[in-house]
Amino acid sequence: MEILKVEFLKLRKKTRIWLGPILVFWLIMIAYPLTVELLQDKLQIGFFSVLWIAILISMMLATEDIFTEDYNDGSLEQTIIQESSFSTNIGLKVFIYWFLTGIPVSILSFIFSFGTTQNFGLSLSIFPLALISSYIFLNLFVLGNSLSLNKGSVLGAIVTMPIALPVLIVLGKSITALQFDINFEGFILLLLGSLSIIIVLVPIVVSYIIRAHLE
Amino acid sequence: MIKKFIHQFASPKTFLLQVDKFYGLIFFTSLCIYIFSIIWGLLFTPEDFVQGNSFRIMYLHVPASFLSQSLYIAMAVSSATYLIWRVKLAAYFVIAIAPIGAMTTFIALVSGSIWGIPTWGTWWQWDARITSTLILFIMYLGLISLHNSFSNYEKADKLLSWLVIVGAVNIPIIKKSVDWWTTLHQSASITLTNKPSIDPVMLYPLIGTIIGFFGLIICLILISSKNQIFIREKNKSWVKDYV
Repeated sequence: MEILKVEFLKLRKKTRIWLGPILVFWLIMIAYPLTVELLQDKLQIGFFSVLWIAILISMMLATEDIFTEDYNDGSLEQTIIQESSFSTNIGLKVFIYWFLTGIPVSILSFIFSFGTTQNFGLSLSIFPLALISSYIFLNLFVLGNSLSLNKGSVLGAIVTMPIALPVLIVLGKSITALQFDINFEGFILLLLGSLSIIIVLVPIVVSYIIRAHLE
Repeated sequence: MIKKFIHQFASPKTFLLQVDKFYGLIFFTSLCIYIFSIIWGLLFTPEDFVQGNSFRIMYLHVPASFLSQSLYIAMAVSSATYLIWRVKLAAYFVIAIAPIGAMTTFIALVSGSIWGIPTWGTWWQWDARITSTLILFIMYLGLISLHNSFSNYEKADKLLSWLVIVGAVNIPIIKKSVDWWTTLHQSASITLTNKPSIDPVMLYPLIGTIIGFFGLIICLILISSKNQIFIREKNKSWVKDYV
């Protein structure tokens, strides 16, 4: 609990890191209607694709410097030698990042979805999808950033983006399922299943990767 | 016991000597099988009833597609071997295989596109199998760029191995994409459990091309691994003696 509090306070002070991705998400969603003809039915055609890509990009930006500062000031080395599990610390850090960026982005997803589709039920279903997918993306990009620590976040994004693409495919399919009312819950469960594996494995893998960097 | 076995046969020096002993045999056998099978497939198999002569591109496309996924699995096994048992040779294998895997995936994508024009009427479709293969190609490029971005080989090997293992999650997705999603790409004609849905007249040369191509790619991997050994162990006295 103490670690959670410390990580929360640390991140809350770095407004640029958590607010930046939310604003970028917002701007992409505002920019989308400007690029197509302003007819409500036409907007709906590509809306969800833009939504998922916007979530992906905002999560990518959120994790841009997740370990850089700790790596440069030596905090990571200190965390490793602490008694508490290093992978748990990483898991909690990712959770805090999701709490401050993923949840607001998911709420905005619901709002933009309702604004575009005028369909409350559909938009309400988007909320859990956005919550789960943002957490999955965040974990994957954390993995990428741990790999490219000190080498810039672009490399990390390049190497982990292919792993995130199957999630985008599932998100696309889940919208089709939602629109035709066929087994949408199945897709939610599939994403939750993936998340439950990722949430456990990614912090462990990241802890080994960071150890490799510090050796 | 596994550890003892691996360490006994995985020293770079032993590997080089074994490669020198068997390389010629593997290369010429594979080349003969490949040339024989491809001539058989291209010139002596009958025209396909539906696709005409365009089906013959499968003698390049299928072996390349098969290997693009198999090489990634080989990389994942090598990565696990390196991380668990600290076998240096396994790490050399991983980076030796990566560019060859990218090349076979590229061949699979290009040959698939060429085959797509006469059969599907389009050279590209955002279909699950084709897209997931493209993702695999990007993954190979990502792996190569990650390894090249570190000057410390040991660190690069460890990071690469972790990424390869994590990325292996894409392989079952690619493999099962034709079953999980409605795709333009046909499902597998040759499986371990079912009788092949392809006629034996076309099947035998296809199996020959797969075996021959596989052997030739193994030869490429062996050369690439030797190259890695020379780069990494250039300061060792036995390498100087060998060269």
